[in-house]
Amino acid sequence: MRRGLGAVAALTLALVTALIAQGGGDPASALRHVYLIPVAALALAFGRLGGTLGAGATLVLYASVVLPALERSGLTPETMEGLVTFALVGGVGALGGTLTTRARRQRARYETILTVQRALADVTPLEAALRSVRAVLLDRLRAADVGLVVRDGEREVVVGAERVVAGSVAARVLAGGPSVFVPDTGSGRRPRRVFATPLVVAGQPIGVLAVERVGELGDEERAALEALGAHVAVALENARLTSRARRFADELEARVATATRHLEELDRAKSAFVAVASHELRTPLTALRGFSEILAARSLAPDEVRRMAGIMGAEAARLGRIVSDLLDLSRLERGLEPTLHRVPVAVEGALTATADLFRGGAVDTIVVDCAPALPPADADPDALERILANVVGNAVKYSPPDSEVRLRARRAGAMIEIEVTDHGAGIAGAALARIFEPYYRAPDVGAVRGTGLGLAVVKALVEAHGGSIRIESTLHVGTRVTFSLPAVP
Amino acid sequence: MVGVAAGQGALLATALAWAGCGTRSGVVAIVLLGAAAAAAARGPAGALAYLIVPLWVAWLARRGRLATLGLAGPVPGRALLAAVALGAFLGGHLLVSASLTLGVRLRPGPGGVLAALAYDAGANVLAAECFFRGALFNRAQRRWSFATGVVLATAAYVVRYLVDPLLPKSIEWVVGAAFYLALLGAGNCWLFWWSGSLVPGGVAALLFFAAYRLLGTGA
Repeated sequence: MRRGLGAVAALTLALVTALIAQGGGDPASALRHVYLIPVAALALAFGRLGGTLGAGATLVLYASVVLPALERSGLTPETMEGLVTFALVGGVGALGGTLTTRARRQRARYETILTVQRALADVTPLEAALRSVRAVLLDRLRAADVGLVVRDGEREVVVGAERVVAGSVAARVLAGGPSVFVPDTGSGRRPRRVFATPLVVAGQPIGVLAVERVGELGDEERAALEALGAHVAVALENARLTSRARRFADELEARVATATRHLEELDRAKSAFVAVASHELRTPLTALRGFSEILAARSLAPDEVRRMAGIMGAEAARLGRIVSDLLDLSRLERGLEPTLHRVPVAVEGALTATADLFRGGAVDTIVVDCAPALPPADADPDALERILANVVGNAVKYSPPDSEVRLRARRAGAMIEIEVTDHGAGIAGAALARIFEPYYRAPDVGAVRGTGLGLAVVKALVEAHGGSIRIESTLHVGTRVTFSLPAVP
Repeated sequence: MVGVAAGQGALLATALAWAGCGTRSGVVAIVLLGAAAAAAARGPAGALAYLIVPLWVAWLARRGRLATLGLAGPVPGRALLAAVALGAFLGGHLLVSASLTLGVRLRPGPGGVLAALAYDAGANVLAAECFFRGALFNRAQRRWSFATGVVLATAAYVVRYLVDPLLPKSIEWVVGAAFYLALLGAGNCWLFWWSGSLVPGGVAALLFFAAYRLLGTGA
């Protein structure tokens, strides 16, 4: 359609010139007004280029009529008419074409902004929004490439490139610089021009819009790109905020769900603990009460009295340990560290005492293996006793009667590493991950007694000393608990 | 004539230097054009010596040394057609206008025309297109914009011909030269920008100058 119009306009110009020449070459011929029609049509159809070319072609053609007359007769009213027609056609072509081009560019800008806003209306993840905007801009700006960078908190979201290269135009603009125009970036047949403009929201740069085009990118278009950048920035900011709000909502929902799950588990564990603790507390109390009633009601032989007193003492000690664990746990839950009175403690002595405590129980053999010349540990003796009692007690509880429990101590740098190895039932992987949680008891412990507090307290005590603890276990093979305490320097 | 040819040589040497060909190529250009001008001064047949220069430039272009001047790679057929249209239109218009307005008649005999055409092909058009389009316009449009490049290169192109001692000095010829050379220069800039090649502009200019040489006072 537009090509056809160009051909028709050219033919009309040639025909009008031919008709004027045919009619005697009068510069004031009424036919000269017809020149305005194709020139105006070209200006409206093709803008500045069409109007200028149309006017230029008219001038070149009409000159062959006006100039000979001017040469022959000088400035007569007829030749003046011809010169006025020159000016009129030139003005209509240039002015009409320029106004048409401007109006079209303005419309194209509004359409681009509208298309960007439409593209962002339904897209909430920021990356998808940027990709969508880039696709729109590539199409609308007739660009060879478009790059977009947007800061979202600590991260930078980049589309159109892998990353922002340090020292690049985009990096300079992103660092808070003004818009940058690079007239030519290569040595191709036509210049490759790059323009990078900041995306600014409320005076703060949130990103960069970089456009690369083969061909022209004039002042007017660069100013328009800056304005477009402002619109894109607002639209992206909205998308970014929506995306962030949604992400926060999702994260919050996930956290609340996790916390709820955790609280539910804690609640279940506490309920289970209350039942277990009641039982654990009642058992020694029942024993104490029973033996005290026997001692009060009967006259017993001194050996029997000593045996009963020994049992009562052991039960009282067990009661004391449970109460201590509860108190420590209470302190931990309030965010307080256990109170320690650290002194040099002989590790071998502590291990031997613990082994003696559990010898004669369920396990056949408890072996103590201490490295020679081991320095004393810088530890609270009561805390160490409780740590060992808990760890060795667990090893003994979960081991078959004919197995061996080995207590090993070695120097490891500035620390003393103590290892308790058993050949018991082992701990399943899922339970191992939660073994240090308060109130947690592995589901397959069966009838083995315990409160679920021991290892949580042990971990807190070890860490309060500045040490660490780890457990390695293989189901049906055995478990190794390794913890470290600082050595006396 | 030899002085004009040396001037063409200087333009061509500058263009070659901007294309990165080195000083030796520039010296060769000046020497070749000077020698051709000397040969042409001996008789019309000697003007054929000018044709050595485009052959030498073609040899440089084949070696890829003139790519930045737009003398590398294929030439688009549509650009050649547009160049023929532009050159033929401006040349035809010049012939009609000059004969109608100034009463200029066509030059008698083909000898002088052929010698002038050889000069245009080997010196005038070649040097002007290499310098004003390949070097000046190309640099200016890369540094600023297409419009700036066109204005700068075309203005320099027109000035170069207005100071040419071979141009008749009457006001009609000066105005006509400024008019046609401005249109030719701007058109050739556009052809260069559109096609990326210097060849279409050279074709348009050759056609226009061929028409000019046909005129009785076409020097």
